[in-house]
Amino acid sequence: MGMTAIEKALASRGGCASVRPGDVVEPIPDAIMIHDNVVIGAKQELDSIGIDRIAAPEKVIMVSDHEVLYGSLGAARMGAFNRAAAAQWGVEQFYDVGRGGHGHLFPIERGIVVPGMMYFDNDRHATNAGAVGAFGLRMGAEISRVLATGTNWVIVPKSIRLDVSGAPGFGVYPRDIGFFLAKQFAPGGRFACDLDYMALEFAGATDQFSMAARVALCSSPTEMGAYSVFFPPSAAIIDYAQVRAKRPFTPIYADDDAEYEARLSIDLSEIEPQVVRPGHVSRAIDVSEVAGTRVDHAFIGSCASGMWDDMVVTAEVLRGKRIAPHVRMFIAPGTEDSTKRAIREGLMEIFVEAGAVMLPAGCGPCNEGVVGPLDGGEVSISTATANLPGKFGNKDAKLYLGSPATVAASAIAGKIVDARAAAPRRSEAAP
Amino acid sequence: MSENIWVTRGRCHKFGDNVPHGGGIVPGWVLAGRVVEAEKIIPHLFEDIAPGFHERCKRGDIIVAGKNFGMSPKMNGFVAMQALGLGLICESMPFLAYRAAVGVGLRVMSACEGVTAICETGDDIEIDYRRGLFINHTRNIERAFPPIPESLRELIEVGGNTGWLKRWWATRNNTEPEASDAPASS
Repeated sequence: MGMTAIEKALASRGGCASVRPGDVVEPIPDAIMIHDNVVIGAKQELDSIGIDRIAAPEKVIMVSDHEVLYGSLGAARMGAFNRAAAAQWGVEQFYDVGRGGHGHLFPIERGIVVPGMMYFDNDRHATNAGAVGAFGLRMGAEISRVLATGTNWVIVPKSIRLDVSGAPGFGVYPRDIGFFLAKQFAPGGRFACDLDYMALEFAGATDQFSMAARVALCSSPTEMGAYSVFFPPSAAIIDYAQVRAKRPFTPIYADDDAEYEARLSIDLSEIEPQVVRPGHVSRAIDVSEVAGTRVDHAFIGSCASGMWDDMVVTAEVLRGKRIAPHVRMFIAPGTEDSTKRAIREGLMEIFVEAGAVMLPAGCGPCNEGVVGPLDGGEVSISTATANLPGKFGNKDAKLYLGSPATVAASAIAGKIVDARAAAPRRSEAAP
Repeated sequence: MSENIWVTRGRCHKFGDNVPHGGGIVPGWVLAGRVVEAEKIIPHLFEDIAPGFHERCKRGDIIVAGKNFGMSPKMNGFVAMQALGLGLICESMPFLAYRAAVGVGLRVMSACEGVTAICETGDDIEIDYRRGLFINHTRNIERAFPPIPESLRELIEVGGNTGWLKRWWATRNNTEPEASDAPASS
């Protein structure tokens, strides 16, 4: 019996010939990623025990992405603590404020995360690694054990295979597909399948997805509980990585006779642009059902929609337009490289002329609203990963989600609109 | 390690389905502020949905919850439950929430289907976490549920991730670990 992609990754890093769902393994990761907001917790925990060194500082990638603009003295203190921690631990791969951007994006762009790679990360959205056929496994607060010992226990998850067919229609973007899928994985959805702690493998007509599309598609399944999301790397993904790879890599593909908990399928041509209603990412609905809802706040960015392609789509909608007078709009390119490119290629001018506020590469408001929060009763539409009450600060704010095109068009209109009608664009832009 | 940390008896505190971690188990600011110290969280445990909970509960009491308890992989509230000497059994919880609970040394049983139908708040409940045994002494009901797997018991016995690291470090350095954070027997 063959293995699924994640089974192969965990078997090889765990030193086993094969693994099965439910097996407990202690894989040796290729890298260990820790984000700015949890360094204090991990460091203080280790310090309190007297653990004054970490197992493999050369593997550790520290990123400052959750709180990039120090909007408080507490954040400044956190930044100072993190710099001292990196120095004491001997972490040289330290992408501090202004040096890399979002830790779930720039390592993919720069070839730090490459096909077949497996790493531990404190943060659940490390599932983005699946965009290039890699495996970023979330450890939460237990990242401290990974830092101290070099590994931690993992229960091999079950895998689900999702075969895609068809192509999305004009104006339907990867986030629309993700929201639609989230609804189908929720109770009452057509898949009748709980994604909790599942490894979701996309299969079928996946070669049509660019790297940015794959990144966007990793997000919503993660919000539905998936522990890993995986795309078999296409020739284009392999070519991209070969030029930039910072380490040798061997792509992983699932065996043809791998065993899946479920095999599902979806025809992309049936999906309309989606808007997610406040409360949970699975509350997706066709945009026409909520069109006209007034918005006060718009945000484009996050680890789900912060790739270069997302900035291009946003610029196409905003070009030559002004956002509505009552709307404040924030745009956070996912990476410093995208910010520089946006300046070179004129996107930054489009954004600023439209009236948007530019944020530094990183999480933006998506991290608990540490920048650009809402007041109670205000309404936001954004490309954030999730929209639980309080995600952008005040729990009485209403948080809608949409694709970058829907969010940008809605910011211009001052209300939720179907971007296809509001701002027709080149049809080749999607996805 | 004494055997009886795996058997507890106390009062039932029942909650329904889909209790969120932020705004349910703990107020949202505990998560946003990344508050992880038990003494700071305890006064606010279940504050939004069961005010005064921390004054009503006693060591050995059992939190019984419905489906999808916690709704996310957050761990902050579990720190307070562990420090209070409580146990948790629920119909379901996200696996990463379960892992987070084990990671702080909380005695927890998930996948206890139908458990909310056989108890009410205030009932006298006994749990054997190693055997997966649920006894409601008030209503004379006994049920078997999936126990805490043997592979995770060691982690809970030493008090979760921090306790495990203490022991690992002490073993490496051939010294005695300091006082354990293991859950006290009740």
